Amino acid sequence: MDLKKYIDKKLTFLLKTKEKEEVLIELINLICENKEIPDREELKKDIFHREKLMSTGIGLGIGVPHVRIKGIKDLIVAVGIGKQDILNYETIDGIPVRIVVMIVAGEGQHKPYIKFLSLIVSKLKKNKIREKLIKAKNEMEIYNILSS
Amino acid sequence: MEIEPRLNILILIGLTILLGTAGSRLFKKFKIPQVIAFIIIGFFLGDSVLGIINKQVLSSFSFFNIFVLGITGFLIGGELKKEIFEKYGKQFLNILLSEGLLAFVFVTLLVVLLGNIFFDNTSFVWALGLLLGSIASATAPAATTDVLWEYKTRGPLTTTILGIVGLDDGLGLILFAIASSISLAITGTNAIAIPKIALHILYEIGGSVGIGILGGLFLSLIIRKIRDKYGIITFSLGIIVLILGLSRLTECDILLSAMTAGVFITNYIPRKSKEVFEMTNELMPTLYILFFTFFGAQLNLKNLTLPTILIAAVYLIGRTAGKGLGANIGARISRAPKTVIKYLPWCLFSQAGVAIGLSILASQRFPGEIGNSIVIIITTTTFVVQIVGPLAMRIAITGAGEAGLNITEEDIIRESKAKDIMDTTIPLIYENMSLAQILKTFSETDNLYYPVVDESKKLLGVITVDHIKNSLMTSGLDSFLLAYDLMEPVIAKTSPDLPMNEVQETLSRYNLEYLPVVSSADEVIGFLERRQISRKISTKLIELQKQAEALS
Repeated sequence: MDLKKYIDKKLTFLLKTKEKEEVLIELINLICENKEIPDREELKKDIFHREKLMSTGIGLGIGVPHVRIKGIKDLIVAVGIGKQDILNYETIDGIPVRIVVMIVAGEGQHKPYIKFLSLIVSKLKKNKIREKLIKAKNEMEIYNILSS
Repeated sequence: MEIEPRLNILILIGLTILLGTAGSRLFKKFKIPQVIAFIIIGFFLGDSVLGIINKQVLSSFSFFNIFVLGITGFLIGGELKKEIFEKYGKQFLNILLSEGLLAFVFVTLLVVLLGNIFFDNTSFVWALGLLLGSIASATAPAATTDVLWEYKTRGPLTTTILGIVGLDDGLGLILFAIASSISLAITGTNAIAIPKIALHILYEIGGSVGIGILGGLFLSLIIRKIRDKYGIITFSLGIIVLILGLSRLTECDILLSAMTAGVFITNYIPRKSKEVFEMTNELMPTLYILFFTFFGAQLNLKNLTLPTILIAAVYLIGRTAGKGLGANIGARISRAPKTVIKYLPWCLFSQAGVAIGLSILASQRFPGEIGNSIVIIITTTTFVVQIVGPLAMRIAITGAGEAGLNITEEDIIRESKAKDIMDTTIPLIYENMSLAQILKTFSETDNLYYPVVDESKKLLGVITVDHIKNSLMTSGLDSFLLAYDLMEPVIAKTSPDLPMNEVQETLSRYNLEYLPVVSSADEVIGFLERRQISRKISTKLIELQKQAEALS
């Protein structure tokens, strides 16, 4: 699987908000503005439901909110980089979240969904990549780091 | 052929089938065999009450009765495999001779005793007694097999009943031939000519067997080369009808010919013949409705006089006692299983086509009072035993524990609901369970699919072993993947009361391997997995087979 194929320039950006809930809504809004999402409220409800079950702060300053919903044909990936630590984002290791990768997949996309999750997580676990992302000054830079 | 102006024959057939089916369903609720419903409906439609199915209609349907009787004989023959003859042959012969001969002796003697009170003419009384006695030995195959079929019986009692009802027609013919020759002699029309009687019997039985073997051989050669089921059924029906026609033409016995054909093919081409019998059997429910309704319509109470009513009563007593006692003695002599000794005497009361046929034959050979009395007595008593016989049989086969043992996979599916088959011990996977917890559940059970639920046990999705395999191949995710992330959407679900045949339709329609069972509140209460459905059904079939084997 090629990560580059799923990273969209329009969906990589520097976060304007600082708190987890606001960050998630910011990412959802961006996705809904740029992609065809059948039901925005459904997406929001499912993302927040998943966070309620267990926070997606997987450690090393990374958050991976993810969900599968009806009516999506291909994976949608949005990446937001916080200029500062995101508040109220519980994590496994206690390191505050700075990098948020939101993944929205179709109901039947089990395999690519898991595969992508695995690839992006292993990429972000590399220190150099994370450092570069956190220091990125604009959307283009974020896109280039992730698609390299 | 003249038909009722108001009701044409097709309306009549349609009405009969509908009324018969509705009536049998009603009777089923009271655990009364359906054949009784058909006969009673026929009685009301017949000349005694409404007169809708009148003599004209009945006579135009005489060919149909022969056809049904022939098919019944053919199906009975199909049950008589070589192994059954080897295992039960001696038992059949003992029972057949004792029940047939005792019924003959008892009826003859009782009719003669009573007849002497009403009639001065001794030879007339003896002729009447001998003829009625010989007719009494036959047992109706159609009504008997219909009850066995309705209650899906299997076991030594069922096998013995089938063997006896199939064979005692032959005995009935022999006794009738002897009785009618003696009667002709004593009533002054003929001298007793033993060689002539023997020759006649030999011709009738030999001819019937010969026609049956030829027909069976011909059918075997044809259907060996045919694969499609429509070809098999049409060729089979064609040949059966030809066998019946030939038997009529040569004045042989239709039941014996058809039965011989059945015996021949079931032993000559056992595997292929199974399909023939299965398909022929499917025709029977509809044929039996018409057959027994028309039979019920034949009874005409207007012809009954006091002497005929009393003779009919002693005929019934003699026949019942003779058959009951004879069956019991025969079963004891041949050391039959206890259930056969105890219950067989209750299973041989039915009389129908063969008895009526012989009574008509008697009326032709003995025109006048003897002939007419025999027809009236046999018609009336047949009506009574056709009501009592199936009832007694139902009690007997249930008592012997053989009811419900002859069911197929299709029967189990047809009679079961999702709740009867579903797995209620399926572990529930909660949506917030981690991959590690899910794997632990997997290791403790052998299911391939698991329902995912929320905290109130409402169904959210399904996790498959296949999905977990994908997740395991990807490293680094196990710490944060939950059941919620791994589940697949529910394509279909079912309520516990959905019949299993509809469950199977749903599984096929969506090409699914599983189906969650949910309550009206959408809570998971069970789970159906295709492979477990097959396993449960097979287990049930094996249990039933073991039960049947344990009886013999």
